[in-house]
Amino acid sequence: MSVLEGMAVTFSWLFRRPYTVQWPDKIPEPLEKTLPATYRGLLEVDTRICTACLACEKACPIEVIAIEVDRNSETKERHIVRFDVDAAKCMYCGLCVEQCPTDAIHHTTLFAATTPDIGDLVLTFIKPGERALPFKPKDAPPAAIERGAITQALLDSRRGVE
Amino acid sequence: MWKLTQEFIHKFIPAFEHAWLAYIAGALVAALALLAFASLFAGLASYVERRIAGRIMSRVGPNRVGPQGLFQFVADGLKLVMKEDLVPAGADPILFRIAPYFVFAGMFGTFVVLPFGAHLVAADLDVGIFYLMAITSFVVLGIMLGGWSSNSKWSLFGGLRSAAQIISYEIPAGIALLSVAIFAGTLSTQGIINAQGGLPWDWFAFHSPFSLVAFVIYFIAALAEGNRTPFDLPEAESELVAGYCTEYSGFRFVVFFFAEWANLWIMSAISVLCFLGGWKIPFVNAPEAYSGWLWILLGFVIFSVKTLALVTVVMQLRWTLPRFRLDQMMNLCWKYLIPGAFAALLGTMTVMALFSWDSPAGIAIRFCTFLVGALVVLYYIWRIVANYRADSANYKKLTGQSMWYPPWRLP
Amino acid sequence: MIKQELKNIDELRILREPVEGEMLVNMGPQHPSTHGVLNFLLVTDGEVMHRAVPHIGYLHRGIEKLAEQTEYAGFMPFTDRIDYLAAMAANQAYAMAVEKLAGYVVPERAEFLRVIACELNRIASHLVATGSMAMDIGAVTPFIHWIREREYINEITEELCGSRLTYNYCRIGGVSHDLPATLAGKILLWLDHFEPIIDEFDRLITHNEIFVHRLADVCAISAQNATGYGLVGPNLRASGVDWDLRRDKPYSVYDRFDFNIVLGKGFRGAVGDSYDRFVVRVLEMRESCKILRQALVALPAGEIRSKVPRVIKPPVGETYAAVEAPRGELGYYVVSDGVSSKPYRVKIRTGSFTAMSIIESLSKGVMIADLVAIIGSLDVVAPEVDR
Repeated sequence: MSVLEGMAVTFSWLFRRPYTVQWPDKIPEPLEKTLPATYRGLLEVDTRICTACLACEKACPIEVIAIEVDRNSETKERHIVRFDVDAAKCMYCGLCVEQCPTDAIHHTTLFAATTPDIGDLVLTFIKPGERALPFKPKDAPPAAIERGAITQALLDSRRGVE
Repeated sequence: MWKLTQEFIHKFIPAFEHAWLAYIAGALVAALALLAFASLFAGLASYVERRIAGRIMSRVGPNRVGPQGLFQFVADGLKLVMKEDLVPAGADPILFRIAPYFVFAGMFGTFVVLPFGAHLVAADLDVGIFYLMAITSFVVLGIMLGGWSSNSKWSLFGGLRSAAQIISYEIPAGIALLSVAIFAGTLSTQGIINAQGGLPWDWFAFHSPFSLVAFVIYFIAALAEGNRTPFDLPEAESELVAGYCTEYSGFRFVVFFFAEWANLWIMSAISVLCFLGGWKIPFVNAPEAYSGWLWILLGFVIFSVKTLALVTVVMQLRWTLPRFRLDQMMNLCWKYLIPGAFAALLGTMTVMALFSWDSPAGIAIRFCTFLVGALVVLYYIWRIVANYRADSANYKKLTGQSMWYPPWRLP
Repeated sequence: MIKQELKNIDELRILREPVEGEMLVNMGPQHPSTHGVLNFLLVTDGEVMHRAVPHIGYLHRGIEKLAEQTEYAGFMPFTDRIDYLAAMAANQAYAMAVEKLAGYVVPERAEFLRVIACELNRIASHLVATGSMAMDIGAVTPFIHWIREREYINEITEELCGSRLTYNYCRIGGVSHDLPATLAGKILLWLDHFEPIIDEFDRLITHNEIFVHRLADVCAISAQNATGYGLVGPNLRASGVDWDLRRDKPYSVYDRFDFNIVLGKGFRGAVGDSYDRFVVRVLEMRESCKILRQALVALPAGEIRSKVPRVIKPPVGETYAAVEAPRGELGYYVVSDGVSSKPYRVKIRTGSFTAMSIIESLSKGVMIADLVAIIGSLDVVAPEVDR
């Protein structure tokens, strides 16, 4: 009878391993480390290697990235004055990451982005008042840092976590 | 049991010498004990069902509140009691408030005649089975009142569907129990158990193929009485959210909730006592042997084990089968179950008339029916193993872990 | 036609007052079994319905209008959201439309990768469709098992392109990420695990007598009605009409694969009833597994994207490109004015919209419980209806 067969299927599942991942406390290592490298999590910008080409700003379909470049008319020097990414509006499509020539803007495997106020979710990779020099190909590449460290530090400072 | 309580009270509290006072005290004690048992069972049953449902669906049930999630039902009860006491605008003020208590009374009243052990029954009424059928009809009243007085069309749907269902399915249930009464010669529940024995082929279910049919019909009808899948149209979650109890919140919802889970125990307990031998221990058949408290305790354990096994089967059925549509359910009852129940009744009477209990032909029939039952169970176990083996090798290759994770290994 | 619409508006006004002997019940936008936010106004006589009037628009997001303000390449993430259960098909259809308009050629490896991703997505979408149909009928367990299988597919696509639901995988001119060999191996291992699980699903629910009796002979749609109302996809094939875009108007590299088109032939009742639509979807999952195996074996080496300019400006023209999405024909009609980098008009044709239109005519004399079965069997999802 089909009912008995169905009951047998159901009973056999009582002996199988459950699929649940009991996040965040009963897993061997944090989930961010087990996600694949291609995962499209929160964005992160390493402003040390940003060339200020503005390709990411133009590629974004919903204008999530705001970059301000200040050009000194005498010395013809450019400085990046503002690099904001609105993580609340971002749809994590990856179009900006594809256009970046130096991989300065890239996805991380972070996904937990809760902050007390929604304004805190605008990630300001250049703090107000600072200036950054755009990267030039002849410069030496800076030391590598762990992917996700910059964004994690930003979010932690917003949440008041040290 | 109330006789024991009476003696106890006489011994220790001489003031309670008047019979009627001791009677009332005994009744109160019995009622409180049953209420405690029923509440504890209802809460634990809801927790165990959620764990079992979780493992069937390849996930883990509640396991955070308390050790392995054991206090989940306490948390749920507390939460529901602390909710706002809503009465929908336009709902009938009196009927809305009393509807849950009809359901509760109809359900809880059956605990009185359930024999938990040899001398452990609150009131051994002479009309035990008849009383059971009568008092479970109260539930219909409560559900219809709840559905109507909620002033919501969807609740009304649920209430009317449920009324039709419960009223219809009382008939095959009653006829199946009638065959039990004819076999046992008495309507009292203790009498029915005393007419059966401890070994499986002494149970009434395996008395003849007709009684096996009566057992199955009673089980299906009891599922329908308790609004359990596959008959849970009144509370069809995907259509009516919660049917007749959609508009209820807070304590009144606790009462409905409690009634549904305690009903699991009742339907299983009645099946066990009528068809599966109740508290009778195998190889201990003489009623005098059940005077020592050790034997009584063993009888209670056996009764509980059998009832819990049936409760587990009911729970598993809920997560396996889809639900019937209203007209299909009515068809099943009136066109298949009622003629089947009548046929089972006539067959049982014929077998009882032709072959007596101890004659070789009678024993042979009982044994053969028991073999049929055992073969069905063995086939079931074989299919379970086959289903498990169908996937275990591929799972190991895909995930690198073994698939064996028995339910007693708690995550 | 305008007179017809006005007549319906008057009828709707009259419907607001209850008629003698009839009940007006609102199967509102928040309901556990309408798939998404759909509203039905039911005129019933107890359990049996006289009419079911659908009200749509609760999930309208103006995607077609947004297309006029977004560049061609930037519109790709929006196409994911038209039908988030079949995002890959929507991506592919849009990419095909713009490539046709601008004359770009897609490399062969990219075409194979698109097929692989599309078939994986087809399996995932049918898992949700059949699972939620079972859940509406009352069996919750198959749905959860299917969600678990979908988790495996989500993990595969997570490794492939980074996202689990809104893939944004296709680009104008190719695809965005390549398929490493380890991932191809993982897909094959998963297929070995999945095909017996479909057998187990069949044992659990497809052959279950109660389930069959709930769905068989419920709202059989004849082939004539199906083509008349413009049904597409599994709904059309379940009514016996032999039409599948992958074979009849082959696009991408589907003409190189050997697979069957599943037709409904009245498996347990009339041809074109709800049970046929259910079984057609389950069998289509098996066909998709076949295509996946063939595609993974035949995957050629090469590039995954052809060279296209950063800002795409197709010449003046209009084009229509359609794919066989899990819910039927998903087509894009793109109009370009040759000057701007943003499309002039993008019109999206979805399968659920026409499936919605047939529900009212099917609902006479049917019980409310069956209405739930019909909506599930036609696989109507709200984002496709409303865009």
